[in-house]
Amino acid sequence: MGSKWNKSNLMGWQFVLLPSALILLFSFYPMIQSLLLSFQSGKGNVYHYVGLSNYARLFSDPMFKQAVLNTLLYLVVQVPIMLMLGLVIAYFLNMPGLKFKGFYRTAIFLPCVTSLVSYAVLFKSIFAVDGILNRMLMSIHIIHEPIAWLMDPVWAKVAIIAAITWRWTGYNMIFYLAAMQNIDPSVYEAASIDGASKTRQFFSITVPMLKPIILFTAIISTNGTLQLFDEVVNITNGGPGNSTMTISQYIYNLSFMYTPNFGYAATVSYAIVIMVAVLAFLQLKVGGEKK
Amino acid sequence: MRKVSAAAIHLFLIIASVVSLFPFVWMLIGMTNSSSDIVKGKFSFGSELSTNMNKLLDMTDLGGAFWNSAVIAVIGTVCTLILSSMAGFGFEIYRTKGKDRLFGILMLSMMMPFAAVMVPLFRMFSSMGMLNTPTAVILPTITTAFMIFFFMQNTKSFPRELLQAGRVDGLGEWRLFTHVYMPTMKPTYAAAAIITFMNYWNSFLWPLIALQTPDKKTLPLIVSSLASSYNPDYGMIMVAIVITTLPTVLIFFLLQKQFVQGMLGSVK
Amino acid sequence: MKKLLSVLLLVSMTASLLAACGSSKSSDSGQSGTGSEGGSASKKVVAWAWDPSFNGAALKIAEELYAKENPGFELEVVDMAKTDLEQKLNTNLASGVKEGLPDIILVNDPNIQKYVTAYPGTFADFTDKVDYSQFSPYKVDALTIDGKVYGVPFDIGVTGMFYRSDYLEQAGFKAEDLENITWDEYIEIGKVVKEKTGKYMSTINPNDEALTSILLQSGGSWYITPDNKGNFVDNPVMTETLRVYKAIADSGIAKPVTGWSEFVGSFNAGDVATVVSGVWQISSIMDAKDQSGKWRVAPIPRLNVEGAVNASNEGGSSWFVLEGSANKDLAIDFLAKTIGGSSEFYERFLKENGGVGSYIPSFSSEAYSQTPEFFGGQAIYTDFTKWSTEVPGISLGMYTQEAKDALKNELPNILNGSDLTQSLANIQKLFEQQVQ
Repeated sequence: MGSKWNKSNLMGWQFVLLPSALILLFSFYPMIQSLLLSFQSGKGNVYHYVGLSNYARLFSDPMFKQAVLNTLLYLVVQVPIMLMLGLVIAYFLNMPGLKFKGFYRTAIFLPCVTSLVSYAVLFKSIFAVDGILNRMLMSIHIIHEPIAWLMDPVWAKVAIIAAITWRWTGYNMIFYLAAMQNIDPSVYEAASIDGASKTRQFFSITVPMLKPIILFTAIISTNGTLQLFDEVVNITNGGPGNSTMTISQYIYNLSFMYTPNFGYAATVSYAIVIMVAVLAFLQLKVGGEKK
Repeated sequence: MRKVSAAAIHLFLIIASVVSLFPFVWMLIGMTNSSSDIVKGKFSFGSELSTNMNKLLDMTDLGGAFWNSAVIAVIGTVCTLILSSMAGFGFEIYRTKGKDRLFGILMLSMMMPFAAVMVPLFRMFSSMGMLNTPTAVILPTITTAFMIFFFMQNTKSFPRELLQAGRVDGLGEWRLFTHVYMPTMKPTYAAAAIITFMNYWNSFLWPLIALQTPDKKTLPLIVSSLASSYNPDYGMIMVAIVITTLPTVLIFFLLQKQFVQGMLGSVK
Repeated sequence: MKKLLSVLLLVSMTASLLAACGSSKSSDSGQSGTGSEGGSASKKVVAWAWDPSFNGAALKIAEELYAKENPGFELEVVDMAKTDLEQKLNTNLASGVKEGLPDIILVNDPNIQKYVTAYPGTFADFTDKVDYSQFSPYKVDALTIDGKVYGVPFDIGVTGMFYRSDYLEQAGFKAEDLENITWDEYIEIGKVVKEKTGKYMSTINPNDEALTSILLQSGGSWYITPDNKGNFVDNPVMTETLRVYKAIADSGIAKPVTGWSEFVGSFNAGDVATVVSGVWQISSIMDAKDQSGKWRVAPIPRLNVEGAVNASNEGGSSWFVLEGSANKDLAIDFLAKTIGGSSEFYERFLKENGGVGSYIPSFSSEAYSQTPEFFGGQAIYTDFTKWSTEVPGISLGMYTQEAKDALKNELPNILNGSDLTQSLANIQKLFEQQVQ
């Protein structure tokens, strides 16, 4: 047993060595540089060592707090909706005998390849005061006066959440669809013979079998949401006020919009790393990586 | 009862498809309209397509940019798939504490916002003399913790008996990887290829910084510079966007067959 | 193990192949900007600009003019989005990498002081190279830091109030009724227009600081003081600006928009009666060919404070030369003799690209006295240049963006009617926290 384990261990390393080395070189080397920078402050290309004071500044920085709150809100509300939707769609699209699968699949995948420019122009016009959405809601008498969606702190957040969900549901669907091909179809057949309904099969076969992938998408989406940037910049540019601003947008502002302070920007970035790492760790625990 | 539920599923999927397709259709319509019609919200096909197309071809080196994007995306995707699946296979099949720890550390790399590592990365590629090359664009994401993780998670449902059987047949570990693992994991490779291709094809921030001369520009950089002029010509921009979007759609179209293959096997 | 080696080999070979074919090309085209070949009497200058049909085209005109006197002079214009340009510049300068930087760069005026201060020694001093007395003083003020002038003034954004004469006539107003009015009068006119024609008077975008910027400069003030402190508390111009802003929002005469395309769409579609904007807006307005002859321009309304005028500025940019550039002297000479001192350049720039500069000698030229039919034969450029000499000079400072964001943060509260003095104190505090 021991020798076999050793052999297997050694075998494994030859597969992981090169890829790991590449990540260490191209990601960790710059990350360490950026860690060193997070202990410095200044502007442009003139920096001096300030110890932990950048980290202390985080806690008294109202813009940062606002960005963290906004981002966490997106995370808590949007990620579960999107993953559930993606999973259900993938399940439907994986049913044998369903017609037009190819069309549905392509259509639902398309939003994540559609360019941000068109997407931004379009979403703004959908949510405009005299936009499509208001006209539609007014014609079916749900509302009587147009709502200024993107100018209201709450509705603007709803618009952002809708936009992210629209863009990334199909993306997650791909992961689920691919993983569903690894499930042995005879499992479903057996369940059908036993009289289990489709809903029942979904919860008792699909979800448990896809657990590793659901966990994967949960961690990826958490990571993606905490680094959310494109949608917000293009649709609301952080407004109204700073009510939709995200942490990544704040980092961007600190580096490129404001008088550049790459030191403090690095500190804010590490705040993201820590948050994602903690959340991913919790998800892995809850997701049952027990073995 | 079954009919009803099938109808409900179709209804749901149709709504989802229409919502998803809407911006895409709008883009196709926009491509045939003049800029001022687009900002006015015109939602019907116009006759400006050739004008828009000619303007775009006059103003930009579209062919060159397309080629640059293609080189980066194709070579990048092939390298990333090989390297990441290797690592995913290694980390999961030969799982040990040490490897788990290493992977945990690697995961940290995807949690770092890219804007924060851009300056050190730029300095690094400058000292390697590699700026302004496709290599510089590909290398930082040639293997990602994200893709390794994806392969690892899919490998969890990989039937290990196949490996045992292979070993009995006298196959070495690398042969097992190339001849048993790779063919079995086709749907996973297909999904990974779509996602990786899309990431390379659409990548913006790093190419913007790493590529320095106009002849090296990729498509997204062209679209971005068109969209920011004082008086943006949205008709022309829509053409550029459609051209930028098509290759990913095409790749998706070609590879999505892999997602039905598993099912076909069961129907027999 | 053999397999591993072969994969490694394959990957590294692909990589080196790519690197080889990439770098061989980059050494003949890419490095021309930094002139790393060094010493050679290179006559090629590289410039970064962000709008090929505007500032990029302007450089091409300048190149033509300069090449007449200096045969063999060559200019390469690299176009990219404005924000992209800023990112590239910041990354290059912050990392200390000179490779790939151009000789000439276009800088948005509010960024001037920021760049010069954050990256000391990076930009060439133009103080004695250009006769700045020939330019509108407010434009030169924006370029002056600690007594030195950096760069050559380029386009300006002198503002005007574009209006639909047909809508206003329908509401019973004549051209004279729109001259030299205050913002309060503007709002009153707007109410009548709304009532009589059903059209909005203007647009309002709470996520965009264009209007507050225009109002502040028309009163000779800015978000920050010349010594880079927040300028929110005890600043009568700021108080009046926000009062006017809220009054416009409350009056219901402004159509809410959230982005550029919506803003342009609102006047292209004929939804609004007036557009208060920079002179460069002319080309977007003229895009709606069906509205030819219906537009006119009047001076912008005035704030109700001491020293406020009916003129302001929105946007504008200037050309800088990088100190470390190998072709620095050539680049300086090129800019100084064309954009920095040629009336012919500004005449052609206006005729060919609709760009307006601040070079006073060009104002009396034939190009600037044209009377476009689209604006009912009004000599609009004569009017704009006249207003440009009235724009108050201000220091844009280095923290404009931080200050705008601090204001933006509080703006919803102000619009909701919270106590203005308290709000201004909040903004000031937030700003100070941001620039520590």
